[in-house]
Amino acid sequence: MDYELPTEFDIIIVGTGIVESILSAAASRIGKTVLHIDSQDYYGGFWASFNLEQIDKLCERNRNANIDLASDVQLNEGERLIKIGNNNFDLKNASQKWNIPEKLESKNIENVDGDKCDSTENEADNGVGVEEVWTQEKLLQDSRKFNIDIAPKLQFARGDFVELLISSNIARYSEYRSVSRVLTWLNGELEVVPCSRSDVFSNPKVSVIEKRMLMKLLSACMDSEENEFKASRSGTDFVVYKMFASLCYCNGFNVDEVVPWGQNWKNYSNIKTQNYENKTFHAYLKDKKLTDNVIHYVLYAIAMSTIDTPCSEGVENIKRFLNSLGRFGKTPFLYSMYGSGELSQAFCRLSAVFGGVYALNQNLGGFIFDAENKFKGLVCGKQVIRASNLVMGIEKSPEDFVKSVEVSYISRGIFITNGSVRDSEKEHLTLLFYPLKGGKQLCNVIELGTLTGTCPKGIYIVHMFTKQINTPKEDLEECVSKLFQSEKEDSDVKDARPQVLWSFYYSAPDTNTANLRKDAPENAFLCPGPDCDLDIDFSIKKAKEIFNSMYPDVEFLPRAPDPEEIIIGDDSDEQDREKDVEGKAEELKQEQVEETEIDKNAQGDVK
Amino acid sequence: MDEDILTTLKILIIGESGVGKSSLLLRFTEDNFDPEQTLTIGVDFKTKRLSVDGNTVKLAIWDTAGQERFRTLTPSYYRDAQGAILVYDVSNYNTFSKLETWLNELEIYSTKRNIIKMVVGNKIDVEQREVTREQGLQFARRHQTLFIEASAKTRDGVQSAFEELVHKIIQTPGLWETYRDGNIHVNDKDHPQKSGCSSYCSLA
Repeated sequence: MDYELPTEFDIIIVGTGIVESILSAAASRIGKTVLHIDSQDYYGGFWASFNLEQIDKLCERNRNANIDLASDVQLNEGERLIKIGNNNFDLKNASQKWNIPEKLESKNIENVDGDKCDSTENEADNGVGVEEVWTQEKLLQDSRKFNIDIAPKLQFARGDFVELLISSNIARYSEYRSVSRVLTWLNGELEVVPCSRSDVFSNPKVSVIEKRMLMKLLSACMDSEENEFKASRSGTDFVVYKMFASLCYCNGFNVDEVVPWGQNWKNYSNIKTQNYENKTFHAYLKDKKLTDNVIHYVLYAIAMSTIDTPCSEGVENIKRFLNSLGRFGKTPFLYSMYGSGELSQAFCRLSAVFGGVYALNQNLGGFIFDAENKFKGLVCGKQVIRASNLVMGIEKSPEDFVKSVEVSYISRGIFITNGSVRDSEKEHLTLLFYPLKGGKQLCNVIELGTLTGTCPKGIYIVHMFTKQINTPKEDLEECVSKLFQSEKEDSDVKDARPQVLWSFYYSAPDTNTANLRKDAPENAFLCPGPDCDLDIDFSIKKAKEIFNSMYPDVEFLPRAPDPEEIIIGDDSDEQDREKDVEGKAEELKQEQVEETEIDKNAQGDVK
Repeated sequence: MDEDILTTLKILIIGESGVGKSSLLLRFTEDNFDPEQTLTIGVDFKTKRLSVDGNTVKLAIWDTAGQERFRTLTPSYYRDAQGAILVYDVSNYNTFSKLETWLNELEIYSTKRNIIKMVVGNKIDVEQREVTREQGLQFARRHQTLFIEASAKTRDGVQSAFEELVHKIIQTPGLWETYRDGNIHVNDKDHPQKSGCSSYCSLA
């Protein structure tokens, strides 16, 4: 491995999770020299997407394989070397299972595991609905068409993430698809949650005049929302009313009948509501004397809540939901093409464009700290690389810095299926809120089809996740048993539900709410991994916080110029390019040892 | 959107560090050459219109942003590209021998099965050659790619390299006409809301 990295940086970032990547982009963007480095050979860390072969081996991978403590490295007086990485934040309880045969035997189709499959001939005879017969071999042949998220995420169309993409001009590096329907599990069936105006308008039960009236009403609500919302109590009524108005509208009711207090919407600050500060949102909805169905839609889907969710939180969630409607597509949610793993790559790309140096699959021999416990640098191969700040993914942190961090877990399940949970003519990108345990817990379900670039044609990937109580399998069992065919096939009854071809359960650490500053040295910053939220706005908040502690009073990810605005090789036209970026090019040039000596072959492939 | 533009194509430039990828890009898009061109910083992608066979296409040509140095190009860099230019330096055999690895990367990450590849031997203005034209040609034949020798410094072959690539892309059925309906660029100012009033947007 005869390559050389520069040996001085402003900041070293270890790990390529989303928070680390955002920080890398933000630091490069303001002219800081950044080394973004990882012992792993792929982008994304705990946020990555894998193809089918890779995820197959996910559990076998030793995350810390490249992080043994280096020996014989020359350090300065008082400096010591600390091992990179800890074992506190790993994926756990991983279990993977195929429910289809490895391959089809030519004539005599064997029953694998006593399960499944001599259906080919029957169906050929019938001539109708010839179902694809899937085998492990067939799916693995298409392995590269899979991009399976280990931390699937959706984005609110007007959430912080999307706004950041736009304001920083990073949007050009990724494409999105809109979630095309939101479902919930109601009275033993999957029901579509009405959340678009076209749903409302297509309802034949509502007259044109009523439609106009209602839209006018809703407009007024939206306009005054910001001010009114600050008065939290009345705001609660107000937002909820707005929600109900649209729901009633969809279902052809007169909103004033369903929500009697609604007609006072102009004077809602006068509405005498109880104080709901210490009560649940569910209690609030109950008090409003709404029908059970309406409560269900609002509580479990639009407010993304449970029966235990505090009132203020439920209202806040509704507000986010409504605010993100109508920007792209029919629902408030976006999913990134080719998987959630693409998100961090977009930020890495921007960082590189602004001079960030990227090195994956590196042999990291330890962090260097001085006697005052200040970060000084790290050892990579035989090199000592120094920097004034360190940012690292929580899983890369030395054991000592995270000893008091509490870890909760997320129960996750990934399923490859042969059809959608709710069949339809066109392919849907589905978000399903499934209330577990009588509404005490919410299970998020995301179903992706081939249009998202995450799986081959004819196949769906279903992600499920919820806060871990028992094991992932036990936690998700209720939802799994309702959505999919049971594994024990009953030959008499034709089960129309999709079959699970492959399943993968695991527990993922959730560290977003933990205090990550407590035991960390002053110039070393820990980045949380994925949390249990649908979106990544909380992670963006964390990234901003870390950035501001490192570089107070500097703009976080200002708009990057468009390619047309950058002119290279013409000194007279520099206004759009930062001077320090130029300077950096020079520095790098000097530091970079002769290009010819660099043997990139030794790097191995990035997979 | 300009109406006379047939389509927009994503073209990648890959190859070892120092072979002149950014120089080729600059020569082609701006007819410019900077002999002092150091490491690639600040170069993202450039756009240029090109007319080939009576069709005008818009090219978005992506540079590596220096991420090739330690072979850390992101998979997303390769997504949806219709064409790739693989560059080596005719005065540096090592860069030529690494082409195989770059083809392999393309194979792994490109999402279009029939992506068109063009091998470009750059720096033919340099006197000390380590790779003959014949060797380059053989490589291209073996891997069924297009081939040309060029010099970003003298302009030789640069325009042709892009033209031939685009020519081949347009001739390839299914490579560029298919537009994935419904994909969203969140920064599109005039985002087409084809479905009309799909929600409460007009209310705000």
